[in-house]
Amino acid sequence: MATSTAEWAQDPSAVSEHLTLDDRVALLRYMLLMRGIEERAMNLYRQGKVPGSFYDGYGQEAVSVGATFAMSAQDRLCVLHRDLGAHLIRGVTPGRILGQYMGREGGVTGGRDGNVHFGDHRLGCVGMVSMLPDMMLVATGMAMAFKLRHEARCAITWFGDGSTSRGDFHEAMNWAGVQRLPLIFVLENNQYAYSTPLDHQFAVDPVERAQAYGFPGLSVDGNDVEAMFEATRQARERALAGDGPTLIEAITMRMHGHAAHDDMKYVPKEQVEEWRKKDPIDRQEARLRDLGVDTAAVRAEVRDAIEAGTQEALQMPMPDPATATDRIFYEGDEDVVLGDGHAPWSGFARATGGV
Amino acid sequence: MTYLQAIADGMRQEMRHDERVLVMGEDIGVFGGAFKVTDGFLDEFGADRVMDTPLAESGIIGTAIGAAVVGLRPIAEMQFADFISCGFDQLVNVAGKMYYRQGLPVNVTVRLPSGGGFSGGPFHSQNPEAWFMHAPGLKVVAPSTAEDAKGLLIGAVRDRNPVLFLEHKHLYRRVKADVPDGRYVTPFTARVARAGTDLTVIAYGAMVHTALEATEDLDGASVEVLDLRSLVPLDEEAILASVRKTSKVLVVDEANQTCAAGAQVAALIADRAFEDLDGPVRRVATPDVPIPFSPPLEQAVLPSVDRVKEAARELLEY
Amino acid sequence: MSSSNTETAVVDVVMPQMGVSVSEGTIVEWRKRPGDWVAYEEPICDISTDKIDTEVPSPATGRLTEVVVDVGATVEVGTVLARIATDARPGEPHASEGGEPPTSEAAAATGDTPAPATPDPAPEPAAARPADAPQRRRYSPVVMRIAAEHGIDLSRIQGTGRGGRVRKQDVLAYLENGGAAPAPAEAPLHIESPYRPEPTPPRAAPAPAAPPAPRAEPEPAPTPAPQPAVAATGRGEPLSRVRRSIGERMKRSLELAAHCTTIVECDMSAVEARRALIGTTALPIVARCVVDALREYPALNAWLEGDTFTRHEQVHLGIAVSLDEDGLIVPVVRDAQDLSDEGLARRIRDLARRARERELAPDDVRGGTFTITNPGQYGALAATPIINQPQVAILDLEAVVKRPVVVTDAAGNDAIAIRPMAMLCMSWDHRAIDGAYAARFLAALRRRIEGV
Repeated sequence: MATSTAEWAQDPSAVSEHLTLDDRVALLRYMLLMRGIEERAMNLYRQGKVPGSFYDGYGQEAVSVGATFAMSAQDRLCVLHRDLGAHLIRGVTPGRILGQYMGREGGVTGGRDGNVHFGDHRLGCVGMVSMLPDMMLVATGMAMAFKLRHEARCAITWFGDGSTSRGDFHEAMNWAGVQRLPLIFVLENNQYAYSTPLDHQFAVDPVERAQAYGFPGLSVDGNDVEAMFEATRQARERALAGDGPTLIEAITMRMHGHAAHDDMKYVPKEQVEEWRKKDPIDRQEARLRDLGVDTAAVRAEVRDAIEAGTQEALQMPMPDPATATDRIFYEGDEDVVLGDGHAPWSGFARATGGV
Repeated sequence: MTYLQAIADGMRQEMRHDERVLVMGEDIGVFGGAFKVTDGFLDEFGADRVMDTPLAESGIIGTAIGAAVVGLRPIAEMQFADFISCGFDQLVNVAGKMYYRQGLPVNVTVRLPSGGGFSGGPFHSQNPEAWFMHAPGLKVVAPSTAEDAKGLLIGAVRDRNPVLFLEHKHLYRRVKADVPDGRYVTPFTARVARAGTDLTVIAYGAMVHTALEATEDLDGASVEVLDLRSLVPLDEEAILASVRKTSKVLVVDEANQTCAAGAQVAALIADRAFEDLDGPVRRVATPDVPIPFSPPLEQAVLPSVDRVKEAARELLEY
Repeated sequence: MSSSNTETAVVDVVMPQMGVSVSEGTIVEWRKRPGDWVAYEEPICDISTDKIDTEVPSPATGRLTEVVVDVGATVEVGTVLARIATDARPGEPHASEGGEPPTSEAAAATGDTPAPATPDPAPEPAAARPADAPQRRRYSPVVMRIAAEHGIDLSRIQGTGRGGRVRKQDVLAYLENGGAAPAPAEAPLHIESPYRPEPTPPRAAPAPAAPPAPRAEPEPAPTPAPQPAVAATGRGEPLSRVRRSIGERMKRSLELAAHCTTIVECDMSAVEARRALIGTTALPIVARCVVDALREYPALNAWLEGDTFTRHEQVHLGIAVSLDEDGLIVPVVRDAQDLSDEGLARRIRDLARRARERELAPDDVRGGTFTITNPGQYGALAATPIINQPQVAILDLEAVVKRPVVVTDAAGNDAIAIRPMAMLCMSWDHRAIDGAYAARFLAALRRRIEGV
């Protein structure tokens, strides 16, 4: 596995400059929320309440939580299937997410698409498609619009190691580089694309190819939520300064199978064990306990939220079959565009004008 | 003005009045476009709004989608309609399905210079509209007159859904007419190109002209020519009303026969106008071959005035 | 006429004589094939003669054992066409199924007597052929729908589509002409008229559209390949027997007679009113007027054969009926002078129906003294019909067309009025009469028509 040296230092003191204690607790809370919801959903799946397939980002929580925490309300996100944390930070509630998994009317897509193929556009998230990494181009387009309109905001898109083998990866990287767009590419390198390991996927790690497109590629410990935050925060600054895109390779490990139906027998057990020691939640929890935070209370709070969300979701009715052919074309008069999402990082509240 | 000028005029007018509109495509800026449709646009609107993109059809469509969902109104040009296959995935899976799945409309217009008749060969002569009629969530329009070209283009830009705009290359300079000034929208409906009572010929794009020519002096028969103009949505009422009137239908496609737009029209008629028919629903289309390059081969496969005339005559005599 | 061989119980089917002058006939279609059961008087084949096409009813009940004369062959009257074994029994194996065709010996051996002459409802598959449908008619959905909506009997409508099919415009025309009444469609097109629509020969292909002006792209705009002139499409086929026959008659008439045509234009208002009253077409009303006028001008109700000119007392009125591809036939209303216009209407209707259903007897088409043809429903205005030999005149009633005409009131003031007008075109033989006579007859006819 190839890496390249980070431009930026990753020592904790540099990181903590931008994160208050509340921020850091928030980071843990969001990761716990993500994992908790996914575990609850997995149980529901095994109880037969979740149709289709179920994907989770177990062990990768830091990648979406850390990066999204650095996104402002006006930034726009193309969120992928192991990035539930991004939705949570933007403001999608656990109830709606669980409803979404169960195909309920109150789910984010109202049963129109399944599992993590959703995006609440009112919160600035674009729902993914299954053809990966199509969303890289959509994010590129969003960034292009921001640049054309001279707006101080950026777009971010997640994609996996496997998807970099498809043409859209190249087209997006090239386009973003040629036009120097305010865009953050987050490559979730979780070692496997379904059953395909990295050495079957590419000859040269994509992060090293970023410079071939005209911008820096940066490898980050994807299981360190604060490192992910900092790397993204800095990439965002670059973007807003007009310096163009950044490729952040988040090095992590997919701890569960590709989906609930995959038992990942093709992954050596030693590899899994090695990565279990680097669990992102454990690490952040340890950090916070060192700082005297009552993480058990955080966990309890998260558990309650998930419980409430579960109950809420279970009450939701299934969608009305008569509506199956509705909403092919938008017939209204409004210009519907992506809206702003929540941006809980204290840095945004502190900012005086500008970002 | 010509059909081509009408398209340019439509874009220009919209771009003047709505700063959200931009055009993007290969060679459209400095070069003014492969067919010079955007000639002069760069000078008037600047490089930000007349964007010379990299050679990346998937990229063009995908970025257009991204720009649209944050409030721009991009007009993406494929240099030839044929190249839309490189952007098929973005168009069908991202643009087409986004509103249905996520409630997020995608206001993109994709201009597709289509059609053959001038030795363009297999990759510069296609009529790919049927692929996209088949994909839910995409609208498809195909003007045959200069007036409709402008009105449908403006309509496409303003329509908040993804719209494919098939501009037939062979009509670019062949069709010339007075076009109303200013900005107007042509509705996504069919148009009776010529009213008649004995037979209906249904066509769109360049084939409307072929149909009109083939039937203007046909044994004194009164032949109605219906210009579909819009393939999605398909003007079913207009089609059925015409069949009710004449009871005989000939459907003409320049596209390859199997599963062309005309096949859908024929199926609709068989389904909903059976009681009005006095003869079989016949079709004239290009056979299922890549469009060949050499003129005698190309002319042999594209529906000619004579072929349409003969089919019309047979049906009239039935 | 049939012969029977009592020893072997075989009955011959022979070519009948359809009219005194007929000497031969042609097989058009066999309704039965060898091995089929056939009942007494059941149609066994269709024939065509100079005079008439008709079916041949079986002379006996039994099994058709052999067809001697094939379809298309022309043979003399009296020729054996087929043979029927009358001592066969229904239910015995078909000849093609491997069993021996039943012979009289076999039947006799079983001790059975020939089956009685009743139509057998049992096992033979081909026995239940309907006797009255010479052609199977199919109707398109829209024709069926319009017919259902208006209660039309489609069998009454003459089709003008391919193969004689009834087209939508035929039904609509039928409706427009008041066809809801039991009257059949108007006396249809008279083939002698030059107005019979000929199939338009395909034209040579026009020059292809000019190619676009050359542009700055890589592909030059070439001239499309020139189209070869389109050859006349269609395959040559021999004329049918009936067509040949009609053609010969027409040619002979033109050669014999000194044809002239005189035309008079009539105001049909009174006829239209009378029509509406009695619920017919214009034809019988005009026919009655013709009969009356012929009483005044009897030289037109005559035969000229060689040098022999024969005036007739009675008016036996021929009415031309078109049978489409099967040509033309002129059944005769005998003693038309004894019939009112309503009576003529009834008789004409009956003759036309029987003509189209091929039920005319040979005597139905003989002995006419004057002929009327009425192709007006197609909208043609005038024609020069050909005289039906050995008559000396023929009258063609063309379309009734609303026209602006000058009307003069009693005070001598002229005004323009809209009137339904029609041309009456009479071809007459200058060997028998002169133009003045013809014109006077037509003037008298017109007076009667306008004074109806």
